[in-house]
Amino acid sequence: MRRSLPARFGLALLQMAVAAFVLIPFFWMLSVSLKPTTEPFAIPARLWPEAPTLANYVTAFRPEFRDYFLNSVVVSLSTVAITVTLGLLAAYAFSRARLLVITGLMSLVVLAQMFPHSAIIIPIYKMMRAADLLNTYTSLIVAYVSVTLPVAIWMLHGFLAKLPVSLEEAANIDGAGPIRVFWEIVVPLARPGIIATAVYVLIVTWQEFLFALSFTSSKAMRTLPVGLNDFIGQYGIRYGELMASSVMVSVPVVAVFFLLQRYFVAGLTAGAVKG
Amino acid sequence: MTRTIFAATLAGAVMATAAARAEPVTLQFWDNQQTESGLSDLQKGAVDRFMKENPDVRIEVTTIPYPEYQQRLLTAVQGGNAPDIATLDQIWMGAFAAAGAVDDLSEMTGKAGPKRDDFFSGAWDSAVYQDGLYGIPFNVDVWQFSFYNKALLESASVDPQSLTTFAGLKAAGEALTRDGQFGIGLFGHKGEDTVVVMNSFVFSNGGRVLDETGACALNAPEAVEALTYLQGLVPYAPKGILNASSGDMRELFLNGSLAIEFWPALEQPTLQKSKLDWGFIAGTAPEGKAPVGTFGGWNLALFASSEHKEAAWKFIEFMVREDVNGDVVDLIPANKKAAEAFLEANRKDPATVMAHLENAAPRPLSPRYLELADAELRLAQEIYGGAEVQAAADAACEAIDALN
Amino acid sequence: MLWLLIAPTAILLTAFMYYPMVGTVIESFYQTSFINPRPQFAGWAIYEKVLASREFSEILWNSVVWTLGVVLLQNVLGFLVALLLNQGLPAQGLLRAIVLLPWILPGVVTAILWRFMYDPQLGLINSILIRLGLLEDNVAWLAESRTAMAAVIFAAVWKGFPFSMLIYLAALQNVDREQIEAATIDGAGPLRRLIDVTLPAIRDVVAVNVVLTMILTFNYFDLVWVLTRGGPQNATHIFPTRIFETGFGQFRFGEAAAYGVFSILVLAVLVAFYVIVQRANAARRHTA
Repeated sequence: MRRSLPARFGLALLQMAVAAFVLIPFFWMLSVSLKPTTEPFAIPARLWPEAPTLANYVTAFRPEFRDYFLNSVVVSLSTVAITVTLGLLAAYAFSRARLLVITGLMSLVVLAQMFPHSAIIIPIYKMMRAADLLNTYTSLIVAYVSVTLPVAIWMLHGFLAKLPVSLEEAANIDGAGPIRVFWEIVVPLARPGIIATAVYVLIVTWQEFLFALSFTSSKAMRTLPVGLNDFIGQYGIRYGELMASSVMVSVPVVAVFFLLQRYFVAGLTAGAVKG
Repeated sequence: MTRTIFAATLAGAVMATAAARAEPVTLQFWDNQQTESGLSDLQKGAVDRFMKENPDVRIEVTTIPYPEYQQRLLTAVQGGNAPDIATLDQIWMGAFAAAGAVDDLSEMTGKAGPKRDDFFSGAWDSAVYQDGLYGIPFNVDVWQFSFYNKALLESASVDPQSLTTFAGLKAAGEALTRDGQFGIGLFGHKGEDTVVVMNSFVFSNGGRVLDETGACALNAPEAVEALTYLQGLVPYAPKGILNASSGDMRELFLNGSLAIEFWPALEQPTLQKSKLDWGFIAGTAPEGKAPVGTFGGWNLALFASSEHKEAAWKFIEFMVREDVNGDVVDLIPANKKAAEAFLEANRKDPATVMAHLENAAPRPLSPRYLELADAELRLAQEIYGGAEVQAAADAACEAIDALN
Repeated sequence: MLWLLIAPTAILLTAFMYYPMVGTVIESFYQTSFINPRPQFAGWAIYEKVLASREFSEILWNSVVWTLGVVLLQNVLGFLVALLLNQGLPAQGLLRAIVLLPWILPGVVTAILWRFMYDPQLGLINSILIRLGLLEDNVAWLAESRTAMAAVIFAAVWKGFPFSMLIYLAALQNVDREQIEAATIDGAGPLRRLIDVTLPAIRDVVAVNVVLTMILTFNYFDLVWVLTRGGPQNATHIFPTRIFETGFGQFRFGEAAAYGVFSILVLAVLVAFYVIVQRANAARRHTA
């Protein structure tokens, strides 16, 4: 489509406006993270520190940070793997079931999404305690899988429901068993949806705070979002180090996301958009 | 056959238990972590020293940032997973004692243990609930000291000593507030620092939060007068009082746009690190009266669920010893002798700090303190928001009295 | 066979979502608190007390304003940006990547960042608005009951709109090109094409998106808690912040549980209302 010059100019302007809206807070975050702790905040706010320094990053990159980072990676990746696997199985069943009971169960899954986490956390804590799982990866992974499964199933279900059943039926006739049909036909076709769901689950778990706070007490088990609290005291926030840590916390997810965003959008295109 | 195996297992188990007894016991100790200090290294040193003195006890220290400490402790106690020892904020004592979560230590102190006279009395009393003693004071501080920016006061020719009186502070606020510069940094966000500052103005004017019968006294004339006075300071404060914390005010103080700010003595090290020329005076009261601050601090408590109470008590005794207490706190040691040495070494004008500490009043001791404080917070927000003081105080008292 | 596939999910959700939730519902009928751990049956008393409080109606109202405000703005903005990114403009891959950043930023960080952005004296927002001449004097956005809710909503939209945008973008790329071209040949302008072709084609997507953001927003805790703690007074208190404050801040578990139950009911009503309206619309369109 050919556009007139003013139209192109207008659209470019809009693009810049959107980028500015999104980026200004990030720019500020970066600016604060580079400000030496000895340089006071200016009034009105200065966009860039007078003498930028990486000192806050050096302080923030403590041995604890590396522990927190590792913990976050282990917990998030395990959660993604388990949630996507279980979600895929369940979503497949839901999308292929003709029994009313099973489709009814689907609404129970959706309903579970509505439970406020702060109201159910103490009972879950007690169960973890009874199972002697507090302060372990397992407690976090189990909790995260439980809270992310409903959305994952919902996303995958929308996707699988659209796959033509005829392909599976044809394979069945050719003598392929149900496991082979699932593995060789359904999974490859569902790949974009799987990636989209995985990215979604990753982003949600990477940020999770309430469960991580409650189930881990020792420093060695904390995840990154909770670890950020190290810079928030009873009477004040150490903005520089906190923002530097925040930048470091965000970079890995941003990187993963940029690598996978093509699939993510493709996955959504094909899947979750159909309710 | 089965029986033999069973017997063997049993014997093995008994032997294992016997062996375990010789093994050192491990105690879990939780402490609040003040980000401003590099305390954890010093604490590590003290803990090592304790373990050297008591080779049969191992201490595992977990420091927890303040914003999450209350929730973590609560979940742990509810889930039956409390530590052996923890520092508890004075204002939590009533609730933890009433819940039966922490032990009465009166018998332990009865013998050769720590004595009330060794500690600041306000701190000791904050651990007393219904004749039981549920903690040993660990550290203390007092809200508030009025810190000031020397250069700003000089340029407006305000005498720092004038800040000690109600009239003087208000006049200073007026003189110091001008284009782009603020006189007094009031804060009224939903946090305990809001409550303690409001209290200290009420206390200094002869008012109280609760009277001797336990009824709310915030709507009594002395309190209402003090609250009205506080409301009168609003024009000299930076905008946004209702969402501002004492921490937010720090940034304004450090960049030289705020002349006077209220903090505990804990703020000193932070200011010391800045390039600012600052001073402080102890609180503010009506002409001729001594300012009364609000006590704050932490007590060491022994949890009822602990399986090693003897060892835990030994550790508590150790932590409040005169030669140890000063090394393991970031506020001020609750042990008075340790406090003297600590203030001398670490704080500017130690005599002023000491005097203000000894004259400080505690917050109400109630197992429902947190709800009471919530009513006080709402009152503070009403006042800073410009509501009619008497009516707001009456409403707060209605809420507080309903808790009984 | 299908049952077997559902079993792991069913077990997990029963154990870690439904069992605790049922426990919470039971707890809401007992007078329990930290200082009084022995529960006493209270019947409907806690519910009656909560319902009668002025606070409850404030929280209910706030929750509705907050949820609808965020959902509406986030979806409208998300849709408009998706339209912009679907124009085949230069550099749109880069812009799409940039736009996604807020969604990836951890919630706690977002909240602290925005609290600082809104700081009346030190924050960037007042500074920019004054420099642009849009504001004469600093405004304490989060401390005034008139502006606090709007400020909180604005930050939430900044964080949430990329997700809606992504889903809309995906949907737009699925709209039948031929239909659009046919409409163009019939002489329909861009706006007509949008209303007559594009919007009907993505109606289902809008519905899913709205329901999903409704649920996520209604239960979103971190942002409001860090920005205002529900203040000033109760101006931004919503169900999740109230549940947390009552339970973990004041140790009153029974009441926190009752708020939890109310919160699910209110959310279910909101979602159901939307779904019914949406279905009715769809049905009307079919018959028309």
